[in-house]
Amino acid sequence: MNVTALLLAQTALTLDSPMTWGIGLGAAGLALRLAPQAAWQKLGIIAGLIGIALIGVALPPLGDVLPQVLFWLMATLAVFASGAAVTSRSAVYAAIWFAVSLLGVAGLFLLQGAQFLGVATVVVYAGAIVVTFLFVLMLAQPEGHSPYDRISWAGFAIPIATIGVALLIGTLVSSLPEFGSVGTPNEILHKTHVARLGGELYAKHLVSVEVVGTILLVALVGAIAIVIQGNPRRRTTSEEGASDR
Amino acid sequence: MNEAALLQNYLVVGGLLFGIGLFGFIVRRNMIVMFLCAEMMLQGVSVTAIAFGRYHDDWGGQMLVIFIIAVAAAEAGIALALILMLFHKSGTLDMAFWQDLREEGQPAFIDRGVPEERAEDRVWPTLTPAGVEPEVDQEEQRHRSNV
Repeated sequence: MNVTALLLAQTALTLDSPMTWGIGLGAAGLALRLAPQAAWQKLGIIAGLIGIALIGVALPPLGDVLPQVLFWLMATLAVFASGAAVTSRSAVYAAIWFAVSLLGVAGLFLLQGAQFLGVATVVVYAGAIVVTFLFVLMLAQPEGHSPYDRISWAGFAIPIATIGVALLIGTLVSSLPEFGSVGTPNEILHKTHVARLGGELYAKHLVSVEVVGTILLVALVGAIAIVIQGNPRRRTTSEEGASDR
Repeated sequence: MNEAALLQNYLVVGGLLFGIGLFGFIVRRNMIVMFLCAEMMLQGVSVTAIAFGRYHDDWGGQMLVIFIIAVAAAEAGIALALILMLFHKSGTLDMAFWQDLREEGQPAFIDRGVPEERAEDRVWPTLTPAGVEPEVDQEEQRHRSNV
C-alpha cells in the first residue's frame, strides 16, 4: 500500500506539494528511528529533519519577520523533540526529550499571547509531571536493557502505525478550510491579559474550577489508595508480633 | 500579523504533535513511555485549542487548556501509581506481560526476533568522579563517637 497514492485522494495534498513529501519523509524517519541498526537510526533523524523543513516550507507565511523566526524555532523544537521522545530507546531520554518538547510548546503558547498558559505549562508539565515520570522510572527500573524496548511489537506494528498516522495527519492538514482574515484579537492581547483570564475563569467557569479541584483531591487519595493496597502495611505484622508476646 | 496564517500554522503543529504521540502509543511497549505519548497527544490538542481561541478572540480555548493541564496532572498521579503497582507485581514495564487479560480464545502474542545484545548496547552511563576525598580527621572521629 503506497502512502502517496492514498494521499492523492486528498485535494490539497498533491505530489508536487512539499507538504506531502514532508509528511511522508517525517513518517519514514519515525519508522527508521525504531530500526535496530544504528546507521538506519541516523538516517531516520535526517529524514525527520528534512520532513519538518518541507512541512515548514509549505506553511503560509505569517507576515512579520520576528514572529515567523520564533515560530519556526519553537515549532521545530517541539515537533523534533516529540519525535525523539517517542522513539528514544531509553525511557529516561524519552522523558527528557518530552520536557524539551514541552519547552517548545510553551514557547508557541507565548507567541500566541497566552502568557499564563506558557508559564503554567513549564511549571506544571516540565516541572512537576516530568519529574514524577523520572521519579517513577527511578523506582521501577528493571535490571539491564529490556529487549522488548528494542524490538517493540512484532515488525508489523511499525509500518501500520506509520502509514495510519501519516494518513491521519495528511487528512487533517489537507482538509483545513481557508480561514478568512479577522482583526487583531484585542481581548486576548489586552495589557491585563492574566487579570482578564482570571476574571473569566472565576466568573464563567467557577463550577468547573470546583469540579477540577475535587478531581485533583480524589486523584491524590486514589493514588495513595492504589499504592497502599499493593503493599500490605508493615505495621500490621509488628502489631501481630506485639499481641503474640 | 496574519491571523489566518497563524491559525493554520498552529493547526498543523498541533496535528503533528498529536500524530507523533499516537504513533508512539501504538508502537512502544514500555508502559511509562506509552503514558508519556498520551500526554503528547494532549499537548497537540492544547496547541489547537489555544490557536482557535486567539483566532476567535475568545477565552474558551485557554480555559479548556487550563482544565487539560489540571486533569493531566491528576491523570499522571494515578497512572504512575498504577504503573508502579504493576511493576511491583510483574517486575517488568513491558505491556505484553499483561496480555493474559485478553479475551478468551485470542492467540497469545509471542516475541519473535529479539536481537542479540551487542557490545555497544552494554555501555552504561557513568559519572566521572570529581574532587578529592577529604581526609578523615582522627580528632573529630573521637568526639563524634562520644556525642
